[in-house]
Amino acid sequence: MSESDMAIIKPEMMKSYIWLETSDGSIQQVEQEVAMFCPFICHQVLQKGAGSSKNNAISLPQKVNPAMLSLIFDYCRFHQLPGRSNKERKVYDEKFMRMDTKRLCELTSAADSLQLKPLVDLTSRALARIIEGKTPEEIREIFHLPDDLTEEEKLEPLKNTMDDPRIRLLNRLYAKKRKELKEREKLKSIEVEEHVDERSVDDLLSFINGRDHKVVNTSKSKKKNKKRKEHKNGTCKVSNKDSHNLHSKQRSVDETSSSLGGVSNLHNIEDDIFSRKAEFEDGYIDDEIDPALKEMLDREVEDFARRLNSSWVLSVGQERQPVHFSINGNGDTRRLTGPAARHK
Amino acid sequence: MKPGIDDQSKPQTMIQEKYTKRYQNLKVAEALSNNHLYPFACNELSSIIDLGYSQLPKDLKAFIFRDCLSAFRLLPEMNTSAAVSAANLLVKSVESAFPKQKKNLAIVEFKQAKVALKRRTKSHDEHIDLPSLPQDIFVHIFSFLDLYSLLSSSQVSRSWNQATSEGSLWRSLFDLHFSHKVLIHIYPGIDWREAFKNEYILYKSSKMLRSGRGYCSYCDSVVWHDNLRCPKKQCRLKSGKKPLDLMLTHEVVNYLLGTTSSSDESDSEDEAVRGLWAYPTLQ
Repeated sequence: MSESDMAIIKPEMMKSYIWLETSDGSIQQVEQEVAMFCPFICHQVLQKGAGSSKNNAISLPQKVNPAMLSLIFDYCRFHQLPGRSNKERKVYDEKFMRMDTKRLCELTSAADSLQLKPLVDLTSRALARIIEGKTPEEIREIFHLPDDLTEEEKLEPLKNTMDDPRIRLLNRLYAKKRKELKEREKLKSIEVEEHVDERSVDDLLSFINGRDHKVVNTSKSKKKNKKRKEHKNGTCKVSNKDSHNLHSKQRSVDETSSSLGGVSNLHNIEDDIFSRKAEFEDGYIDDEIDPALKEMLDREVEDFARRLNSSWVLSVGQERQPVHFSINGNGDTRRLTGPAARHK
Repeated sequence: MKPGIDDQSKPQTMIQEKYTKRYQNLKVAEALSNNHLYPFACNELSSIIDLGYSQLPKDLKAFIFRDCLSAFRLLPEMNTSAAVSAANLLVKSVESAFPKQKKNLAIVEFKQAKVALKRRTKSHDEHIDLPSLPQDIFVHIFSFLDLYSLLSSSQVSRSWNQATSEGSLWRSLFDLHFSHKVLIHIYPGIDWREAFKNEYILYKSSKMLRSGRGYCSYCDSVVWHDNLRCPKKQCRLKSGKKPLDLMLTHEVVNYLLGTTSSSDESDSEDEAVRGLWAYPTLQ
């Protein structure tokens, strides 16, 4: 006598079962009320009419292996009974969560694919408790994860890809200006390369020209050295400060760029701008150096900025001036003097 | 009003009782069983012992001794390096301050703990890789983490790093820590992580990473903060969005003993400025 036969004869007295097939091909049946606790199974039954017989078994997602399935159904079996008090459920949950990390991960994965949100919550919290308060190395040990971040990446926030066309335009403008500057200086330095000891404008120009690449390199290597040192301390506080120091020069650029329609994490841009800005700044520390060129660049940049419809002044040639900018052009500044105060 | 000055006028025994009562209210022992708070609790014990174990009233000494023993007994279950170093610190304080008999008992306990710890790490075998979880599950898990743990997680591996850059995580952290004092302009595409970092630097909020304690003005007590809020429900309802004033270990100890020592750390100027006067005394 098959189950389904008996179900037809005495539906009130017989429990109905749902047939399920796990990833390894084994088929089992589970009480209906228990199985229906899982949204995934519920949908399958209601929408596709699956699970009514052995041949028509619901095939479960790959991540659900038999061991996890039985665990999940234990959970469902307990919780689907409406008569349980909240305290009972809490106590059960606490006990249920006592398992090793590997099983927790498997269980989370399985529960997620069955869309059993309360169980996912529970396991997530348990995993969070495991992670809490640990150093990265310890976490790696527990979860058997590879250490595949570079030193720099660990201490710098992620670089997001910039899709904003305005930023691309800005980049292009900078690239153009940079090329022009380089060309002009190359012309001049060809004449002055012999006069190494002369403290002249030309000398400084060639110095800049030679430094163009060095500026970027030294600042970057300074970055790396700093980071290596700081990383040994291993405190996040330090790394925050570190990035702050390094990015302080970029800060005004950051903020102005962020005002350009809310572009977030600009580290691609920032790196470019940083090296260019450093070049500009170093170049313009001494005002003898080609003020005409500086003027022109300033004007062009300003035009561009105005075209981008935000009032934005990039002060080149002076130490990071506080940058005030308005958003939406109606005079509302971002939270007062916070950024500005920091610069001072 | 400096804490401790009032006590001098009262009879000696009453002062003793107050210290003991304060200590019990601190609930140091409870934190010892918590993986995350264990180092904080041990540090508090060490500081208290260092500051003047011999001058403490007798029953308070007994409590401290009991808690030190439980700290050592619980050490094997804490498999973090922070816990081990905190326990080492504690044993050093014990060695220097405890009377002979108690000292020996405590050290025996500590040594047993170390042996158990070694046994645990040895039996840690290399089993197969854990199943990789989908990204959104990671984000869900990280949503339960505090700042320190989130930053830790971001340095674990590439996939974790990507998961931690999720804006919603940093938005809720920002909300938790700063929303009561900062008005931020929210635009589409805002980088919440950057925003958080900016505020963090601005407010020199390094305490966030180094503190498990906070002072709750609603119940007038020093508590182990639960996500920056007082663990008591009524206080949470009353305080709304406002987080607790975080306290460092030495501030807690000063509060307990009515002393004015400062921390060894270099940025103690911050703490000195706030001082003890921010926290009213227990009368």
